[in-house]
Amino acid sequence: MNFPDLIFIAIAAVTMAGAVITVLSRSVIYALMGLVFTMFGIAGLYIYLNSPFLAMMQILIYVGAVTVLIAFAIMLAGPMYRHPAEWSRPMKLIGSIVVALVSFLFLYKALIKTDWLRNGAGEFTITTKEIGRALFDKLMLPFELISLLIVVAIIGAIMLALFSKEEK
Amino acid sequence: MTGQFLFNNLHVYLFISFFLLCTGILGIIFRRTLIAMLISVELILNGAGLNFVALNRFIAPDNAYGVVFTLFIMGIAAAEAAIALGVILLIFKRFRHIEGGKLEEMKD
Repeated sequence: MNFPDLIFIAIAAVTMAGAVITVLSRSVIYALMGLVFTMFGIAGLYIYLNSPFLAMMQILIYVGAVTVLIAFAIMLAGPMYRHPAEWSRPMKLIGSIVVALVSFLFLYKALIKTDWLRNGAGEFTITTKEIGRALFDKLMLPFELISLLIVVAIIGAIMLALFSKEEK
Repeated sequence: MTGQFLFNNLHVYLFISFFLLCTGILGIIFRRTLIAMLISVELILNGAGLNFVALNRFIAPDNAYGVVFTLFIMGIAAAEAAIALGVILLIFKRFRHIEGGKLEEMKD
């Protein structure tokens, strides 16, 4: 076992352990912390996949923006003091674990049986320059539509938060 | 495809992304509050992004479409989180709880 593989196994373990903490923790704040662990682990996996720009974007957007947004919602919608029971029925836990395991086994069998295309033997040398070229050249329309979508979503969220009736 | 190192192997990345997808499905079924369900959806989107980048790196290394689509996924995830949190705050203002199983009416 060599050194890069050890680091890789540690990053993958952090990713999967964060996912398990996210799903099974009793508190929503702990679930959010597990999500942060998972996002940092995926940023590390992006670095191993030769995409450091994407790792930086992962940390900036997910860890920096989306997590803070969810933390604000947790504070504002207040499940901290109401303590909604996340673990009420153990039968539900068993059932959902069965569903997740069955879907995982199907996917894993498909992964093993598929003969992946082997024409991609070349080196992966996609730099930030080529990502920018692809964004502003061939994928111009989806890029603009994504920005339009984000603007509409922000305006919609503000409208929902401001002009709504109080509790009945 | 299968290099000397473990991190040069496509199957490892696909295994991790499948694991994230299945834990996200488990979270959506199992958790009761809407915010925890939203966090599980974020897990699924992260796994999808990892899947795109891994397939781009190992199957088609001569273009950048997988990386660009992962950037699009990040944008869509941010928009989805903003809208969902607005809706969750609205539900909390009206019903004083955010449990998904107890929401039975949409309009009074």
